[in-house]
Amino acid sequence: MEGRCIACEERPAPPRVVVVGLASCFGCQLQVTNAEAHLVDVLGQIDLRYWQLASSDPMPEDFDVAVIEGAVTTEESENLVRALREKASTVVAIGACATTAGIPGMAAAGFLSRPVEVYGEGGVPAACGEMVSPRPVSAVVDVDCEVRCCPIDTMDFVDALQGVLHGSNKAPRSSTMCGDCKRNETECFFAQGRLCLGLVTQAGCGARCVNLGRPCNGCRGLSPDANLESARQACGRYGVPVEGFDRALEMFNQTNPALEDGRASR
Amino acid sequence: MLYRVIDAGELPALVSAFMETYEVVAPVKRGQSYAFEAVESFDEIELDYPTTIASPKKYFLPPKETLLEFDARENMVADFAAEITPRVIFGAHACDINALNRLDLVFKDGRYPDPYYVARREATLVVGVSCMPHETCFCHLWGSDEARFGYDLFLQDIGGKYLVSISSVEAANILEAACNPRVATDAERIEFRHATRRRQAAFNPDIPSIQEVAMLMDAFHKDPFWDELGGRCLSCTACSAVCPTCFCFDIQDALDPDGETGRRERVQDACTSPQFALVAGGHNFRPDGRGRVRHRMYHKLNGFLATHDHMLCVGCGRCVSACKANINPIEVLKFFERKGTEDAQ
Amino acid sequence: MPSSCAVSTVQVRPLACGPAPKTGAQLMAENPYRPWPARITSITDLTATEKLFEFRLVDERIRDAFSHEPGQFVEVSIFGVGEAPISISSSPSKRGFIELTVRRTGAFTEVLHRMQCGDIVGLRGPFGRGFPFEAMKGHDILLVAGGLGIAPLRSLINNIHDERSEFGKVTIIYGAKTPAEVMFRSQFEMWRHRRDFDLYLTVDHPDDTWDGEVGLVTKPFEHLEIDASNTFGAVCGPPVMYRFVIDEMRKKNISYDRIYVSFERHMKCGMGKCGHCQIGHQYVCIDGPVFNYWEAKNIQGSM
Repeated sequence: MEGRCIACEERPAPPRVVVVGLASCFGCQLQVTNAEAHLVDVLGQIDLRYWQLASSDPMPEDFDVAVIEGAVTTEESENLVRALREKASTVVAIGACATTAGIPGMAAAGFLSRPVEVYGEGGVPAACGEMVSPRPVSAVVDVDCEVRCCPIDTMDFVDALQGVLHGSNKAPRSSTMCGDCKRNETECFFAQGRLCLGLVTQAGCGARCVNLGRPCNGCRGLSPDANLESARQACGRYGVPVEGFDRALEMFNQTNPALEDGRASR
Repeated sequence: MLYRVIDAGELPALVSAFMETYEVVAPVKRGQSYAFEAVESFDEIELDYPTTIASPKKYFLPPKETLLEFDARENMVADFAAEITPRVIFGAHACDINALNRLDLVFKDGRYPDPYYVARREATLVVGVSCMPHETCFCHLWGSDEARFGYDLFLQDIGGKYLVSISSVEAANILEAACNPRVATDAERIEFRHATRRRQAAFNPDIPSIQEVAMLMDAFHKDPFWDELGGRCLSCTACSAVCPTCFCFDIQDALDPDGETGRRERVQDACTSPQFALVAGGHNFRPDGRGRVRHRMYHKLNGFLATHDHMLCVGCGRCVSACKANINPIEVLKFFERKGTEDAQ
Repeated sequence: MPSSCAVSTVQVRPLACGPAPKTGAQLMAENPYRPWPARITSITDLTATEKLFEFRLVDERIRDAFSHEPGQFVEVSIFGVGEAPISISSSPSKRGFIELTVRRTGAFTEVLHRMQCGDIVGLRGPFGRGFPFEAMKGHDILLVAGGLGIAPLRSLINNIHDERSEFGKVTIIYGAKTPAEVMFRSQFEMWRHRRDFDLYLTVDHPDDTWDGEVGLVTKPFEHLEIDASNTFGAVCGPPVMYRFVIDEMRKKNISYDRIYVSFERHMKCGMGKCGHCQIGHQYVCIDGPVFNYWEAKNIQGSM
């Protein structure tokens, strides 16, 4: 009802949305299509102007919301992200690649030397574009809203989109995962001397992997309040090798400055 | 209080009788740990359990519950009814019953009775069972090793038999119908006294008993100890998730996918969560682990005492196992003990 | 669960479905989490970021049962967006209507600011302990507001004005960052003109048109004459302001227990349960938001 003109009872035009994929497996966009049961409901609230995965129509000139999947790995994608930010009032980053640089981010280590190992002295093929060190979208422009996980949870995306469309006073949380495991009353891997990244990973998925019997691999990314030093000490107390903990973190947090600082300080 | 004795062999009949009209939840084994779960038969129940990962508070304050449903287009409340399941919590320890009594002070007896909590509490029978402390238990320090009220039946193990404290008519009727409760003999009364003494003697002697802990929480409020303790916090909220007396929550709206209807939910929250004391405009009144951990301990060991005359810690020891950073009330007690030693020098 | 289980319910129903007739007080007490529909009847732009909203509860029973103390707050609902605690700006004597001063400062107030006259919100409350209006009668009053702190104090100021003859000298010190951020100025100026109140308006950054004071809210204290034995003080503003203003009041010898402060926290339930507004052992939502300075001094972490 909010924003409706009282005189003519007309609703404002639905927000124009574009969905863009960068360096990623496109799995998160696929997850959006998996919202089959609700897709029509969701699409009814927006004016979807562009979706690379579903249509080959060109990107429109004007839009309100830009949904970005994938990491920034080329100059072209960096420019695209900047252009999206300039036009959109709201930028939503979805999936581990867009929010943490994710799997493409693993290439950040040795970024200058590795392409040569793969492609030889001839250099990177032109089709790859001008490569830049991989980074999350938030390292290039301000992001208004993030949907984390690899891949994203379909309903998380719907929920985030609702927040963008209608407003929501739910504050993003930075608490880490273990509280959810306790509420789920699952057994802690640390008690068995096994590594789990829940200690430092941003909560919000409900500890889904642990519920399925697998330790957290950190796909939601380090919490901004992650206490790496304390977590390393916990590893020590529970007989979990600290080196393994640091190495495991690199899968989804390679480009996170906190990890860099941690390595430097030790 | 009315006391009767039943044989251990009569418990399955008692549980079956409860199952006729109630959902029965009881401690069951989960891997190496234990948890309260709905059970279908007495055989699933592990009555001789050390403690559960989380407490039975989840049956009174679920981690997430719907308060109401709404129509966002009209911005109005929609028709909604929260269903309350009649339930028996079978096998609660004294600490957890004392914890429920603390929750009652906030959700049942205060100026604003909470309709959802009150409905659940009234629809739930609590059957307590005696226990022996394990190494992280310190309920005796706060007088929570004994439940004086807040239950319907309390089963005191006296070796193959139970001395049953009977507190409600509803439970008495079921007990009498299912079992053969009889008056305790002198020998049984003496065995009860022995059992109590064995429990009292079995607490971990390394956990210091500090009488004036509430006052000390004020006196050492600015001590660097809190930097050290709070500096370790992982911000995971495991402490409050397992705590039988932590009751903080958030209220959030969830829209249905069509954006037209939705529900208002109460979601468990924790004062150790970094955004807990954040206000609109961005100011955070407790922006670091030091402030948050100290606040939580202060509420447990001083604040609630000041307003409700009871510690909000019942010494169940769950946080001792749950916290990977070794932050727990025992560490606070040990700190106060160290301070006592320093002063003596 | 056995099939014979007699499942009971906690019901929340729209107004039209109400069962037997009940009083407004009974309806509100039944489920204190339930917001009641209120219509926006007036919106006034105060500054670039603040608006004054006037609401009227739709149901007559609720409207008649609703009464508040100056300094109390309500929880405002926009379903789907959430709920926010907002202090009441109108005098309790203004029955039938509730005024709220709202700064656009987050997702919730962003949406509220886009709403229009005739739109519906949800309201529940009032909650908390307000200013001790009855005890203040017969005394001089010194009110100090900084920025949005004027919102709860305006309820007290208007209430005092309604019963002006019951009070001695009333002094208002109100500071803002710039002249454009001063709210309710014409109303205050009118009252000053009629000598109802002594008024000191002060800004940090004046412009060419500003003829009031320049500097912090503590500055007017330099030439303030106070009968300390007969004065109540009331303070509300940003967190940094309290200590300095209270120091000035203490220097003027106003007693600890006659200096009243109002605290801002994010009260999510309003009923001393959710924990978000806790300071030390107190819940701002039920023990406050108004505390006297003696009480506030005894709360760990209050200032």
